[in-house]
Amino acid sequence: MQQSIVVTGLGLVTSIGIGREAFWHNLLMGRSGIGPVQAFDTSAYRGGMQGAEVKAFRAADYLVRLDPAGMGRASQFATAAARLAIADAHLDVAAVDPERAGVSMGTTSGEPNEIERFDDHVVAATVDQIGPEFIASYPCHVIPARVAGEVGFAGVNMTIPTACAAGNYAIAYACDVLRTGRADVMLAGGADAFSRITYTGFARLGAIAPDICRPFDRNRKGMIPGEGAAVLVLEPLAQALARGARIYAEVAGYGLSCDAHHITAAHPEGHGAARAMEKALAHCGLQPDQVSYISAHGTGTPTNDQRETVAVKRVFKEASYRIPISSIKSMLGHTMGAASAIEAAACALAIFSNCIPPTMHLEEPDPECDLDYVPNAAREHTVHIAMNNAYAFGGNNSSVILKKCEG
Amino acid sequence: MDERDIRNKIKAAIAKISDIGAEDIADTASFKDDLGLDSLVLLEISVEIEMQFGLEVNEEDLKQLQTVQDAVEFVQQARVGHA
Amino acid sequence: MERRVVITGIGVISPLGDSSVALHTALCEGRSSLQPITLFNTDGLVCKQAHALTAFTPETYLGKNPRALDRTSQLVTAAATLALDHSGWSLEMRREHEVGLVLGTMFCSVHTIAEFDRRGLTLGPNYVSPMDFANTVINAAAGQAAIWHDLRGANSTIAGGITSGLQALAYATELIRSGQATALLAGGAEELCFESFCGFDRAGLLCGAHYDGTEEFPIPFDARRNGFTLGEGAALLMLEDAALATARGAHVIAEITGHGSAYDLAHGMASQQAIHAIARAMRLALQDAQMDPSDIACLSASANGSVLADRHEAQAIATVFQEGAHDLPVTAVKSMLGETLGASGALQTVALLAAMRDDVLPGIRRLEQVEEDFPLHRAGPCNQHVHLRNGLISSVGVDGNCCALVIAQENSGQ
Repeated sequence: MQQSIVVTGLGLVTSIGIGREAFWHNLLMGRSGIGPVQAFDTSAYRGGMQGAEVKAFRAADYLVRLDPAGMGRASQFATAAARLAIADAHLDVAAVDPERAGVSMGTTSGEPNEIERFDDHVVAATVDQIGPEFIASYPCHVIPARVAGEVGFAGVNMTIPTACAAGNYAIAYACDVLRTGRADVMLAGGADAFSRITYTGFARLGAIAPDICRPFDRNRKGMIPGEGAAVLVLEPLAQALARGARIYAEVAGYGLSCDAHHITAAHPEGHGAARAMEKALAHCGLQPDQVSYISAHGTGTPTNDQRETVAVKRVFKEASYRIPISSIKSMLGHTMGAASAIEAAACALAIFSNCIPPTMHLEEPDPECDLDYVPNAAREHTVHIAMNNAYAFGGNNSSVILKKCEG
Repeated sequence: MDERDIRNKIKAAIAKISDIGAEDIADTASFKDDLGLDSLVLLEISVEIEMQFGLEVNEEDLKQLQTVQDAVEFVQQARVGHA
Repeated sequence: MERRVVITGIGVISPLGDSSVALHTALCEGRSSLQPITLFNTDGLVCKQAHALTAFTPETYLGKNPRALDRTSQLVTAAATLALDHSGWSLEMRREHEVGLVLGTMFCSVHTIAEFDRRGLTLGPNYVSPMDFANTVINAAAGQAAIWHDLRGANSTIAGGITSGLQALAYATELIRSGQATALLAGGAEELCFESFCGFDRAGLLCGAHYDGTEEFPIPFDARRNGFTLGEGAALLMLEDAALATARGAHVIAEITGHGSAYDLAHGMASQQAIHAIARAMRLALQDAQMDPSDIACLSASANGSVLADRHEAQAIATVFQEGAHDLPVTAVKSMLGETLGASGALQTVALLAAMRDDVLPGIRRLEQVEEDFPLHRAGPCNQHVHLRNGLISSVGVDGNCCALVIAQENSGQ
């Protein structure tokens, strides 16, 4: 009998708050982290100068072992989130066997500043100034490496860069590692830092909204790039109970699929997304109508939100209209590889506190998006089962299911 | 630059970005139905057109460009607007 | 009852051949693919040689010019074509039964990322290439290959540095064991490009760093070694649930029986810690395979000519295999393929499978003198003819990741 894997700690670095309490409070209040981009000059960009950046973040406030100056912004977010998660879990790291403690992180860009600096040198013909640190700091596997170095975990160390769905993949993998007895505790999540490359690309695709992110709204114009990190402490239920840990939720299972349709656009009939949801439900032995809440991918682009709605209806049929579904990207923007990890944390909190975060800025319903998106105000609601959906470029689809822990 | 030059440049842009030879692109060819170009490829072609002709193709404009001839006329009108 | 994971097909694109037979022949002949770089300008770089794919034409494998695919995506998609053909997974079958893809890569295409960025810097952000942007995500190659070949099963990308390919094989193994998938292409790919090459060159890790006009080549385990050379390539294996393979009458090449991984917190800078982590990955793989070290007939080492890492790995093998290490046939194919980063673990696996098929383990090219306490007496320049039933593949990163995979040949005769 495979053991249940539970979430016992949450660490969050987001544009609406750092730490679980601030994050959850502001999320339920509908606070938005979106504002004019500070990280670089966007005046030359056509349309969209908004972003959801993490403000007033000092990694030194959270790191104990490593020097923040020796790592990029995404790694700083990830290591800070890891420390916050461990503290939140009241996990005694000294009592953990380091060889049976691992890290699994998702990301889209890794440390984009490093390649951007490299490119600055190439363009300025100062390539001779590129030093030995580039190859050590740029590759995206530095993120879980830094987390491991900060907390001293020497077990599996995994990087899954499945773009906008990466957090879900990292969490799913971590659960499998624990379920098969390869580790006793895993830190799993996602991190991404604001990136000129990412911003420029989405702007050129016409995907960035000029003002705010309004998922599922009739007048939605696009997504807002953001940044942040979330790390979850995952461990076997028996161990969590034995040490008297607070259990937010159980990670019941997941499903993965690939659209195999188009590199940037989702399948118009939502086949791949639907299959990931169906596989997740099957993995958990659940019927669709048992789901209490769906955390949508909900980026706010005209295409995604409509296709996602189609996919949900494919799977849930009449139940689609009864199950609340919200997108917290309405407040956080799209934090890329961190998104589904932050959303998984929100699902765990929704289950734990029986309260669902809203889809903000939903003013005019779209006839093609006619589900209950929990518009504009958080809602008290008993959440037994939450499904966290995330979709990425390359057609990577994922659904992770969390459930209330009855143990 | 006359209409033929504009058309040739546009066909060259399409050929550069897709795997279709310029000589195989009919003047009336529809991007989607005849040439099988998806939205990402079309966007790429519109960027190429912007660079070639020094004009802007915004999202609304792009939606209206269904055929090679639409693109030719768009460029002609934009150039007149700049004159 | 745990599901067994078998290998039913191989697809490989390498400078030494695009089939496992061609690759194995080249390795047994001691051929190196190291040559002066022509792919990009090497002005300002100290090392000017690499193991490049000089004759790769994507049309050969893809049937048409894949404009939307960048070079890394082309490599992956081409390797997928070969693996799908080899394993007999036709398009009709893939439409009925989903096949997935798990790709290990260190950078995917850092070249595409950089080109996209530089175009924005020089022409302005409004003139960047949307199609290039689509290929700037590290999971793009896996996505492009899936689109090309209609692979709708679980699709993932693993980016763990040098260990990526082996980690991808391990990850895919677990997806099948857990029932999340029944058929997956898994392996790794890496392209040679200026950006990553420059990075390694600047870090002083390449053996051509002391280039003085004489030939510099990577000599794993040799006392004179002074760094590695970079290569490129792609290798994908078709992994299936053994029950599915049997049901469809597939030819089974081998079985993946175990995998293990560990992380060295000292990033290879502290010998005892490094040796311990590499050994731990191997032990975990053996445990997972329910085997003793004595069951292993051959070992494919990660050794690539790195001064410290090669030594750590040799000592780790000695730690795990004890006296058996003296008698264990060991190869190091990076002596001929170079360090192919995310593709390396998968290329090593393909090479070892071929070795096990023919009962010939390729020698380590130009290995002539070892340190006094070098424990691997059967790591040498000559091919070894010996019955090879079970093999272990080791992958060691520059940054701390260590991974090991155990494979068992099907129908080894005897």
